[in-house]
Amino acid sequence: MSRTRSTTLAAVAAGGLVLLAAPPAQAADTATVSVLHAVPGVPVDVYANGEELIPDFQPGTLTDEMSLPAGDYDLAIYPAGSDPASTTPAAKADDVTVPAGANATVVAHLTETGTPVLTPFVNDVSAVPAGQARVTVRHTAAAPAVDVRAGGTVVAPGLTNPEEATLTVPAGTISADVVLAGTSTVAIGPADLTLGEGTVTAVYAWGSADADYQLAVQTLSGMDSAPSAVPGGSGGLTGDGLPLPLVALSGAGLVAAALAGRRLLGTRA
Amino acid sequence: MRAPVAVLVAGLALAVGVPTAWAATRPGPAAGPPVASVLDTPSEGPSPAPAVTAHPAAPSAVAPRVAPVRLQLAGVDAPLDPVGVDPAGAMALPEDVDRVGWYRFGPAPGADEGTAVLAGHVDDAEQGLGALAPLREVEAGAEVRVTDAAGAVTRWQVVSRELIEKRALPLAALFQRTGPPRLVLLTCGGEFLPELRSYADNVVVVAEPGP
Repeated sequence: MSRTRSTTLAAVAAGGLVLLAAPPAQAADTATVSVLHAVPGVPVDVYANGEELIPDFQPGTLTDEMSLPAGDYDLAIYPAGSDPASTTPAAKADDVTVPAGANATVVAHLTETGTPVLTPFVNDVSAVPAGQARVTVRHTAAAPAVDVRAGGTVVAPGLTNPEEATLTVPAGTISADVVLAGTSTVAIGPADLTLGEGTVTAVYAWGSADADYQLAVQTLSGMDSAPSAVPGGSGGLTGDGLPLPLVALSGAGLVAAALAGRRLLGTRA
Repeated sequence: MRAPVAVLVAGLALAVGVPTAWAATRPGPAAGPPVASVLDTPSEGPSPAPAVTAHPAAPSAVAPRVAPVRLQLAGVDAPLDPVGVDPAGAMALPEDVDRVGWYRFGPAPGADEGTAVLAGHVDDAEQGLGALAPLREVEAGAEVRVTDAAGAVTRWQVVSRELIEKRALPLAALFQRTGPPRLVLLTCGGEFLPELRSYADNVVVVAEPGP
């Protein structure tokens, strides 16, 4: 691709984004969208409602989160550098509803039989309990049903393309792999995945038998919760009451006053 | 007749004066402005229209963080342990009251943004007073130093101390991971509730990066 052309594409993309970017005051009317390219071997241009959104998008790459107005989108991908007016899209998805406040990842991937498609996944970005991490596994590979394992234990059995499974687990690093469903034939991995506390990690199995299978990882943060309390002592040694010696001194004063009062009254009587 | 009057007056003065003087000379339950007001995070201005950026999505290793290992302030010199949450979801603290916990899920002291939280038991029925017991008397302006495992020192200045009822503790604000860098020190205080073997309040000290 020539420099001139990429500059033009960048300008078009920027123009599209000015229309798409909403001021924070309208945050309630926007959605957060990321795009993952998981079709092996083919760089693409991504179009939203006829406007180029992402030029020359490389397989195995993920966009950062974009803030877009909520609404319906016609999405399409074309081979990178082709003219959308005269080219059949490699895949398209019309009237994809992106609701206000939602967090979605649009994935360009292969179906089980190897046809490129665009699938919007909604990310669960509700609060994660303190100490935990949420992980969502998504089957976006040209492959039959799989089991996803963590540390050798099946955690998501029988996942088919384009299904997903979500788990909440203690934060930490796990060793994950993908096996053909019901077998121990490893198709992908194992790979170490760091599941950060209070984050959402989406793990995508993608690729094809010809192009090899791989994992893609998307991390969304900001779902953390504070601990429910802070304990801090069980001794009662720092109670805020008057210290005992001072209680005694005060009491002694009271007794002296009482005795003196009695004597006063007795004198008068 | 004069003597009993003098004793009466002196006795009453002692009975009332001792508790009054004690109360008057104690460190107040708070120092500096209220914790809630110093925890306010200024809202960020409108962000510019984002350009679409992309990065490789292959799994990548996360660089380990350098943990803080030592806390020092007036009357306190304590080792730090990384801690998380207990099964009930409360912050887990070191059993040893001479040690202080660093909430490892939040920022480390010295991170670019967010609040680093250090907390410890004020005392224990068997072990006696804890390392953070002097926190109840720390004054605004006091210096706090935290040393990390690599030997780097961060300096902090106390801006606020407050006794806050446990159920009213502004947990989300205290444990925020974004916003300006802060250091929060927590222990227990206030009235002891023997039937619960627990204190009614938390002592909350907020510090900001020092000069």
